Amino acid sequence: MTRIRVVLFLSMVSLLAAAAGAFAESPSEMLAQVDARRYIPNLSFVMQMTSFDGDKQVDTNTLWGFIKGTGTRNRSLLSFAGPASVKGRKMLMDGNVVYLLFPRTTNPIRLSPLQVLLGQASNGDVVRTGFSQDYDVSSLAEAEHGGVACYLFTLTVKETSKDASYQKVLLWVEKQSLRPVYAEFSTGDKLLKQATYSDYQSVMGKDLAFTMDIHDGDNPQKHTVMTYEKVGQKQVADTVFRRDYLPSWVPEQPR
Amino acid sequence: MKKPLPVILALLGTYVLGAPLSLAAWNTQLVMDVLPTAALAPAPAGGLMQAETTEMTGQAAVSHTQPIVDGLSLSGTAWGMADSLPTGIPFDTLPTKIDLQSRILELKLAWEAIPGTLIWDAGKKVIHPSSGFFRTPLNVISHGALGNAANLSGGAVGTWEEGWVGTGLTALLGSFTLSNFFSPRLAWSPAADQVLQYVSTQQQDYQDLTQLDVRIGVADVRLLGLLSSGGPGSADPAVHLTAGMGVDSNIGDAVTVRAEGTIADSRTRMAVTSDQLPLAAAVQTVSWVPEALVGFTWTNKDQLSVMAEYCYNGLGFGGGDYSRLITYSQALRANTGAGPDLLDQLGTFQAAQHYGFLRVSGKIDDRLSAAGWTTVNLQDLSGLTGIVLTLSYDAWTVNASLMNAWGNTDTEAGLSPLLWKVDLEVSLFL
Repeated sequence: MTRIRVVLFLSMVSLLAAAAGAFAESPSEMLAQVDARRYIPNLSFVMQMTSFDGDKQVDTNTLWGFIKGTGTRNRSLLSFAGPASVKGRKMLMDGNVVYLLFPRTTNPIRLSPLQVLLGQASNGDVVRTGFSQDYDVSSLAEAEHGGVACYLFTLTVKETSKDASYQKVLLWVEKQSLRPVYAEFSTGDKLLKQATYSDYQSVMGKDLAFTMDIHDGDNPQKHTVMTYEKVGQKQVADTVFRRDYLPSWVPEQPR
Repeated sequence: MKKPLPVILALLGTYVLGAPLSLAAWNTQLVMDVLPTAALAPAPAGGLMQAETTEMTGQAAVSHTQPIVDGLSLSGTAWGMADSLPTGIPFDTLPTKIDLQSRILELKLAWEAIPGTLIWDAGKKVIHPSSGFFRTPLNVISHGALGNAANLSGGAVGTWEEGWVGTGLTALLGSFTLSNFFSPRLAWSPAADQVLQYVSTQQQDYQDLTQLDVRIGVADVRLLGLLSSGGPGSADPAVHLTAGMGVDSNIGDAVTVRAEGTIADSRTRMAVTSDQLPLAAAVQTVSWVPEALVGFTWTNKDQLSVMAEYCYNGLGFGGGDYSRLITYSQALRANTGAGPDLLDQLGTFQAAQHYGFLRVSGKIDDRLSAAGWTTVNLQDLSGLTGIVLTLSYDAWTVNASLMNAWGNTDTEAGLSPLLWKVDLEVSLFL
């Protein structure tokens, strides 16, 4: 009997030690590290966004742009390079404030976040470069996703970010590489979107998911695939992320 | 002597190929409209009869932006139109079968003297500070929409508009943007310089527009002031002032709101001087004329959108003056040609002071969208209603629109000769 107790005690000690080893850092620090490994400041890009309804391709947009900032408080300038019917449109996303400028006009129209038409992707999905700025870690566990050993972060929106698109996020991060592989975005009760991150490539010393597949929470048949075709860095003044700069902006591909 | 042209072209080609890779491809849009219209016209035996006609228009616009070096770019848009019914009025057909028009809508050189902070431009450009949809009080310098095809979407701004020749300076400083645009008087003899009408519209006034924009929280606040004068020797050499203010903001994820207003020190309008035969009207100058608009747009996640706007038109008539205008128009309708028509005939209504606008739009499927809109004269509850169906593909769209005027015979819209107008439009994007 005494021997059994000793074995049980040693087992518990070893389990605790394993757990302590696994989460050597606090969950918040781990989430910050997940972000840091993929965050490229002043990212410029060419992105293809293709929307599907099941296997049927609904539309494809090619966007040129750049992002400055972190979390969903990024500011981003986007221009539509295709298809021909939308070519020349320019968009400024400044947190939840979005402006759209049509070709041959000079006054950008203010859009609500729900008016942004990019398939299943919201403006927050396009410009998000991390989670730690807008979300607190409410729990951290270990789980498998697609046969890959992962950390499962349960994230809840910070008081200071209540206007973020999603109130709760479940984020699966590959243990070995700390690469996000899958996420579920919800209001807390209702699943709004599912995102799969893949095709990681090393760019400027960072791990960047070149493909994000975003599925509608109500109808998972509807999904939008966002693929970086080209990335680079572009240093710009803060003032270019102003509504009044949009008419003067001449979009360029990353160099 | 060697011809320099091939050398210049070769240098230009080398330069263009070496220029920064930009979104600088040519953008071309071709639009064909077929517009069957029914309106009331004077009958040979007296009274009114229904007249029907079909207007056809073909329009083309070519745009290009060319970066020259970092921070310096040249951009422009040229537009042309062939129109089978230039007046747009069914009972007012012209002897010439096709009317040709063209304009340089924009052509400007822009230079970011301090990147992202100080921008200078010179040439021709459109200036549209307003956020309004069915009325645009802050568009204090505007040539109006080009082309005779009615804008059947209910919007005040058409597909194409000509800009103003001038020069501008914009400074972006923190949360503030300060800009100034000066546009000179450009007048010429239409008889002596006939070809210029295919390039540009005359500019009758010197105009100087100063605009201050500031972001406060999530709200954009805009203040502007316009000074204009015909200058010495013109019909109106006095300096006139128009001042305006506008605010745009968001409420949550689904709603945008806007409010704007202007006041002009002096404007003119036609006013009734006698509503008894013989009918009489005269030009009247009105001082300190206000115009204001408030509105919102609500959109849900399925892209169903509801837009509502209210406009106060200070140049319109109210009370007894409005009643006199309606009586005058009724008498005019019974005695065609007895006086000038003061009501807009086939589109935008301006006679009253209070107007409302409602538009509901949404997607029917991935390719097909629909919109329904109505403009209501809130003083006599008459108006215009339209529906628009749009089929969109990557390189082309098809629009089918129907517009109808409604109201009793003692109302502004009820007195309009317009019965209905249909627009079938095909747009190609190259």
